[in-house]
Amino acid sequence: MATNFWTSTHLKELLEQEEVDVVHNLDKQRGITLDDFKLIKLQMTNYIARLAQNVKVRQRVVATAVTYMRRVYTKRSMTEYDPRLLAPSCLYLAAKSEESTVQARLLVFYIKKIYPDERYRCEIKEILEMEMKILEALNYYLVVFHPYRSLPQLLQDAGMSDAIQLTWGIVNDTYRMDLILIHPPYLIGLACIYVASVLNEKDNTAWFEDLRVDMNVVKNIAMEILDFYDKQRTISDERVNAAMHKLGLRK
Amino acid sequence: MADLDQLLTKKVADRYLKREVLGEGTYGVVFKAIDTKTGQVVAIKKIRLGKQKEGVNFTALREIKLLKELKDPNIIELIDCFPHKGNLHLVFEFMETDLEAVIRDRNIVLSPTDIKSYIQMTLKGLAVCHKKWVLHRDMKPNNLLIGPRGQLKLADFGLARIFGSPDRRFTHQVFARWYRAPELLFGAKQYGPGVDVWAAACIFAELLLRRPFLQGASDIDQLGKIFAAFGTPKPSQWPDMIYLPDYVEYQFVPGQTFRTLFPMASDDALDLLSKMFAYDPKARISAQQALEHRYFSSGPPPTEPALLPRPPPKKDSMDSKPSEFGPTVLSPNSRKTRRVMPEKGNDHGIGNERSGPAPMSLDFSVYDNRPPARPTINSADRTHLKRKLDLEFQIPEDDEYP
Repeated sequence: MATNFWTSTHLKELLEQEEVDVVHNLDKQRGITLDDFKLIKLQMTNYIARLAQNVKVRQRVVATAVTYMRRVYTKRSMTEYDPRLLAPSCLYLAAKSEESTVQARLLVFYIKKIYPDERYRCEIKEILEMEMKILEALNYYLVVFHPYRSLPQLLQDAGMSDAIQLTWGIVNDTYRMDLILIHPPYLIGLACIYVASVLNEKDNTAWFEDLRVDMNVVKNIAMEILDFYDKQRTISDERVNAAMHKLGLRK
Repeated sequence: MADLDQLLTKKVADRYLKREVLGEGTYGVVFKAIDTKTGQVVAIKKIRLGKQKEGVNFTALREIKLLKELKDPNIIELIDCFPHKGNLHLVFEFMETDLEAVIRDRNIVLSPTDIKSYIQMTLKGLAVCHKKWVLHRDMKPNNLLIGPRGQLKLADFGLARIFGSPDRRFTHQVFARWYRAPELLFGAKQYGPGVDVWAAACIFAELLLRRPFLQGASDIDQLGKIFAAFGTPKPSQWPDMIYLPDYVEYQFVPGQTFRTLFPMASDDALDLLSKMFAYDPKARISAQQALEHRYFSSGPPPTEPALLPRPPPKKDSMDSKPSEFGPTVLSPNSRKTRRVMPEKGNDHGIGNERSGPAPMSLDFSVYDNRPPARPTINSADRTHLKRKLDLEFQIPEDDEYP
């Protein structure tokens, strides 16, 4: 990890799980449960990733965009900040702040292309307005750290260089949860390596013990990741649609 | 205050009382304002929205992103951001003047301890940036602002970047030419904090000489000026030089001693300067190391910031009674406005810059309104730069899927 993480706003802004798992009152009134809330955020994560694939931006941009989106929903309601507009707008802002600008019209074009559903449609103007609102909701904190950068080095050090694709994929999947809002990225990275070692049946106990980190935290994060993979199987499109339907926004 | 209600209507975002325009920044108007919450005088940058309907200005966003992470007495404070009538506004602490104005004011005598103080504050700000992996990339006297109590603060982070990974490629079209390090002039794409240290050395020299030290008229000429001063670098001095993208061989010139270049400076000052002006970026002293140099620890200590000589503050409506607040008068500024756009008031082109300093015996004070033309990043560079900055980084790099 870059040394400045320790003095960063990212570190200062980390939250507790209980603070993240709060459904906004306005959303509650529409019948949104905590499960729905998580499902919609998951759906929007997938949306951002898919859109990003089309406009061709780095994984880091996707990760930052998802982090922005999740941070916004710790402070604002889905009722006021329609996820189907917030998600692409977060990608738009993240691309800028990660120095790989994507034009808003390009996003609008691909949204139309990949989601023929009317309710996903948005205009350039709406994205730009939302950009400003996101900045406010984020309190203008834009620097986000991710586990990616240190991953190859850590894996090499652990003698697991062959598992880089697997681990990288697991890190990508952690953005489907709120882990990045709660834990420092290096611990998330280590948890992903831990999960990868379990999946590869590689015993890395000694390597982990040599690290000066709290292994309980790493193991807890790893458990959450594995739990998520288990639950993931039960998620159906119907459930997602039902949750989105409760919001019943736009048109 | 009886006329408070009247004033309310002139407030920006219900909090800031708008005053006179201070200048045209790189991406919008800067105006003075009073923070009614704290009574503090602030400078507000109103960010122009991009022409191509691209939302919040990219440069402004960069500045916000980095300044939110950099809180330090020697770095300009971004107090607040808010949208108003569709425009984003950045609220900065108000700074009275800048180092360029100090250097140019012929009525000011800078003692060795004053110089020590100014360069120490510069290096302190820079060391904080570098510690947080931020390159400033536009260090020049004009971007070193001076606050009401003499504190010097780094400002204008519109070109700054996080340099987290060592193999990251950047554009070399950064810095105003006179402050550009030799590796940048030779087209280096991978560079580090040394570029800021070189620029700080140029500022140090400028404080000593009271004129820009290396006034190149073009990039080629800039290298020529550098080599004429310090001698053409030998391969032993800078082994990697010949591998730089735009490297061309220069005819060998021997260069001068630091003593001849800066006759008035102390031995310690010269030693530090020579280390900051090291050709090989790898051998160049870091900002932190420079602060630990004996120049700062020995001899007379640096002047207290509050006691530093400064140009008289602009006559402004600050002293006027509240009843005179009235409508803001956008009086034309006779003095230079801070961070003017490139080429503004410089119709004479580059040739102008070459004329160099006039004989010292001339009284310059009467010409103070008309500063010598300083190159900023010129417009050609700028579009090139913008393109680079906007597009170059889409190329997948270290973070990409392996």
